[in-house]
Amino acid sequence: MKKNRRLIHFQLSYTWAIATCLLLIGCSTDEDISLREKSIIYCSEGSPESFNPQTVTSGTTIDAIANQLYNRLITYNTEDNSIVPAIAKSWHVTRDGKKVTFYLRKDIPFHQTRYFTPTRGLNADDVLFSFNRILDKESKYHQVVAGNFPYFQNVNFGGLVNKIEKINDYTVRFSLNYPDASFLAHLASTYAVILSKEYADQLSLASNEKQIDQLPIGTGPYKYQEYKTGSLIRYYKHPDYWQETNDAQQVVFDITPNNSGRLAKLLAGECDLVAYPIAHQPIINNPNLTLESVTSLNVAYLGFNTAKPPFNNKMVRRAVAHAINKKAIIDAVYFGRAEAATSVLPQSSWAYDNSLTHHMYDPELAKQLLTQAGYPNGLTIDVWAMPVRRAYNPDALTMAKLIQSDLQQIGISVNIISYEWVTFLRRLSKGEHQSVLLGWSADHPDPDNFFSPLLSCASAETGSNRAFWCNQAFDDILSDALSTTNPNQRKAFYSQAMAIVKEEIPLFPIAHSKRYQGKANYISGKSLDAFGGIHLGNIQRNVEGGE
Amino acid sequence: MLIFTLRRLNLFIFTIFLLTVLSFSLAFLFPGDALVNISGQVSANQEVLAELAQSYGKDQSIFNQYVIYVGKVFSGDFGVSMISDLPLLDVISTLLPATVELSLVALLIAMVLGIPIGFIAAIRHRKNSDNIILSIAMIGYSVPVFWVGLMAIQLFSIELSMFPSAGQISPVYEIERQYGILLIDILLSDSNYKWQAFSDATSHLILPAAVIALAPATIFIRLARTAMLEVLETPYIRAAKAKGLSFAQVVYSHAIRNALIMIVRHIGLQFANLITIAMITEVIFSWPGIGRWLIESIYQRDYTAIQIGLLVLSSFIFIVHILSDFLYAALNPLARGKKYGS
Amino acid sequence: MARDKIYLEEEFPSPIVQFWLEFRKLSIVNVAFVSFLVLVFIAIFSPILAPYSPTDSHIDSLLMPPSWNNEGSVSFLLGTDQLGRDILSRLLHGTSLTFGLSFVVVVISLVVGVVIGSFSALTKGVKSSVLNHLLDVVLSIPSLLLAIIIVAILGPGIENTIWAIVMVLIPQFVHVTRNAIKEEYKKDYVLASKLDGANNFRILTYSIFPNILEKIVTQATFAQSAAIIDIAALGFLGLGAPIPMPEWGAMLSDGIDLFYIAPWTIYFPGMAIFIAVLITNLVGEGIRHSIKEVKEN
Repeated sequence: MKKNRRLIHFQLSYTWAIATCLLLIGCSTDEDISLREKSIIYCSEGSPESFNPQTVTSGTTIDAIANQLYNRLITYNTEDNSIVPAIAKSWHVTRDGKKVTFYLRKDIPFHQTRYFTPTRGLNADDVLFSFNRILDKESKYHQVVAGNFPYFQNVNFGGLVNKIEKINDYTVRFSLNYPDASFLAHLASTYAVILSKEYADQLSLASNEKQIDQLPIGTGPYKYQEYKTGSLIRYYKHPDYWQETNDAQQVVFDITPNNSGRLAKLLAGECDLVAYPIAHQPIINNPNLTLESVTSLNVAYLGFNTAKPPFNNKMVRRAVAHAINKKAIIDAVYFGRAEAATSVLPQSSWAYDNSLTHHMYDPELAKQLLTQAGYPNGLTIDVWAMPVRRAYNPDALTMAKLIQSDLQQIGISVNIISYEWVTFLRRLSKGEHQSVLLGWSADHPDPDNFFSPLLSCASAETGSNRAFWCNQAFDDILSDALSTTNPNQRKAFYSQAMAIVKEEIPLFPIAHSKRYQGKANYISGKSLDAFGGIHLGNIQRNVEGGE
Repeated sequence: MLIFTLRRLNLFIFTIFLLTVLSFSLAFLFPGDALVNISGQVSANQEVLAELAQSYGKDQSIFNQYVIYVGKVFSGDFGVSMISDLPLLDVISTLLPATVELSLVALLIAMVLGIPIGFIAAIRHRKNSDNIILSIAMIGYSVPVFWVGLMAIQLFSIELSMFPSAGQISPVYEIERQYGILLIDILLSDSNYKWQAFSDATSHLILPAAVIALAPATIFIRLARTAMLEVLETPYIRAAKAKGLSFAQVVYSHAIRNALIMIVRHIGLQFANLITIAMITEVIFSWPGIGRWLIESIYQRDYTAIQIGLLVLSSFIFIVHILSDFLYAALNPLARGKKYGS
Repeated sequence: MARDKIYLEEEFPSPIVQFWLEFRKLSIVNVAFVSFLVLVFIAIFSPILAPYSPTDSHIDSLLMPPSWNNEGSVSFLLGTDQLGRDILSRLLHGTSLTFGLSFVVVVISLVVGVVIGSFSALTKGVKSSVLNHLLDVVLSIPSLLLAIIIVAILGPGIENTIWAIVMVLIPQFVHVTRNAIKEEYKKDYVLASKLDGANNFRILTYSIFPNILEKIVTQATFAQSAAIIDIAALGFLGLGAPIPMPEWGAMLSDGIDLFYIAPWTIYFPGMAIFIAVLITNLVGEGIRHSIKEVKEN
């Protein structure tokens, strides 16, 4: 009997515990203003690969780190896409276009964190260090990432820049081997960030060079606090930031790969901003939320791995291209709000060639091509569908399903494969795929940005050319196009390039789409840009809006 | 009691033996190289592989390999995840407490709701209220948990904004890990926002716990009803009635206690059932627990993680099972004679 | 021709008829039983009943709401999904997957489980003790978790799902059969036929099986509802039926991303699973209740 009583007592005490818990929800507003209201929560769609934009190309990573932690020498004006000063207050280009001098600001402090305390502000040494890391193959910091700076390799930065000199503490000169129309665009792109040399030297002393890309130090509006793999990134405010910014005490990236879960978090008030909302209507219908969009230069494509069968056969690629119903994809995946792509370059780019046509949707022709290619009885292929939503491709899985049913018609059965994003990218750059649904968002408005990173031989080596396609004639056209600044000449070159892509089909372009973002109404300011990542430093959280 | 303890211990050792054998053999059953599967070193080069083969005793008999494996598991060397390269011991020790927290709260809700309702049904045997309770229990038992979870998010998080839709706590709070059980860690932390964090974590917990509790609660209703009916039929209750005690007195001072003991016997088994439901619920509510992680590992074919996650989760369930057996035996001396589980 | 009754004999219904009469008394169970038959009918004849193929995309009618909605159309009674597939047709076809396969699963595991259970009931000593412990271990792992593990070993897919659930259900049947046989074996009538010289096999088939049938049927009713839930849950987790298959759980998980624009893609598959499980449970409850009543009379 005694034991029984104890049991009941046990239960009673638990009941009390629950009752107390419930009461606490009601009476816990003792602190004057809640931490939630002093924070900005951005629900992002995937995990970052690294904390240094120099070493990545993935848009998810750029969104999470580039504009939050770092600054560049120059940047884009978000209104008219012109190049404006940032760390460099001004610059000068010689008439032959081969020498560019930057004059730096003197009032830019680095982050102070638990792992690094700066003794000086940003100066020419930091700029030299940041770029020499990319250029100098002997540098420890070059070797620590195995020379993997995909953006800079894709644009052949090493071949372009001859040397970088420090004129004085706040003046830096770049000498180029040849004039390049897109050089300033490269420096303004989100990848060309300035790191701290002092921090790097400290790490070198401890032989811990790897840490520079994992525990970042920059000059941006926020400083690194913690990263819980696959779950959240926490930044604190950089109190001495040199530009105007908001007064949020911290910024949290709540990593939510689940699309409907991410939207639910916005609808339930758990996020202030949400990347790539899966459905627009619930946000538009909700009076407390706003749907933002920006026209971004991008393309979604089905990339064929031309380095291995069956897609090393051009006939198979053509057959697939004629078998896919692009219109159905645009209706089902983009809800009709995207342009069908004829080539990698979007129609809104100045270099676009209006005479380009689509690969017609023609299953009969596709079947014939497949027979000619030596597969009269069909074949089985893998299609890798990217696991995250991007502006160019809001739902690769559905797209893959549509392609699956299209290809079924011509006797190709499709296995749809997907991995977690970081794994996906890693396996992709090793070339483990047969074909992949992916896309590209431009880093800057120059048309070259659609060709060199996606299809050049250099990028086939770095793996960002997911087709592993290398065509010398095509590469020559690209470098011809860069060597001139005459827009008409360049346009003619790019027309030729697009014709080759259309003929060879290393990738099958699908659509160009806008980038969307959902936010609560109490967030003001513009965080979306046509190029590069988001700017959380540009937004304000208006407390009176409340939750 | 001693013999009972020895028997349970025997069963426990046997079970752990079987589970480790299962986990060990999974390395061979999964596609790919057994050595890579067991260690998780996917990108290892020849040298590292040779070292690994050495440390896992690949040149020895299969029995020795098993012994080495068990030794490694018990010393906490779980290998690394094939996907993230993180040591699995660390991963599991952060995830398991979250699952424990969620499932214990769910078990509590299920019992606190289910048992009294079951008693009421038994007392009102074959009356309208009994039928209504039974019908509700039948519906609650039949409804698929993943559907309820989605509906609950739609209703309580989005329409009514009462509870958050995902996660264990709002990411704005930084809580230092001590025991892994979040609510306790918050209470021990010295954050300025302790009480905000505590109420936030509690409100995150309620919805998933309630969804998990739904099906087990209906089972507890039925168990409690059956137990109470059985108890009410027993001679000692009749004797108590004959002594002239009122029905209420009989129920309160005799029947409830004895019926509760019979229910305790089923807690272990119900907990296993509850953990399964919790795995799916964790996926829906993005709860950072071991169930969601295990399912994700299956998607990503992280075989090392599956092996170890399975071993840890099943052992955990079994330990709870055995503990509830002990509780039952402590409360009911008659049960100590039984040889096998029920 | 009906036979005239010559003798004034009081008719004594056979156990099956008794069971049936008892079963018929429960009104709700009757409704459930009729619905159960309807489900079986749909599962068999779904290709004829469904207006469209479950995988056909109607590109011009993507995400159509159900027909009673203003924007709905009568040609798609329950609306369409993101790929323009008719949800009604998918649900009908899904009946033969989720509900129909649960039947198959139960039958296979019942047969295998009863056979193993009968053999094991006749073993004694250490072997028996080991088997008992083994069963204890297997039964203590939750069925869905075990199924998930088996699918992890075999790889995702509908066939593997079936095997996994069969393997999970077998130990339950073994357990029930074994305990029931052991119990019956102690009874006098078994001893009587033993003394008559019957061998073990004969005792099992002629004396014991008819008497333990009810327990096995009871277990089968539990197993069926568990099987439906498990098939759907594995489908929901993306480990069961592959992508274009209209399995209900897989349909539900397909719909999650559309929940906020097209909630009907979630409502209907969820309702289908719920109703199928509810009906199965009600019928099971009715069977168990009737067996009990027959026994008590």
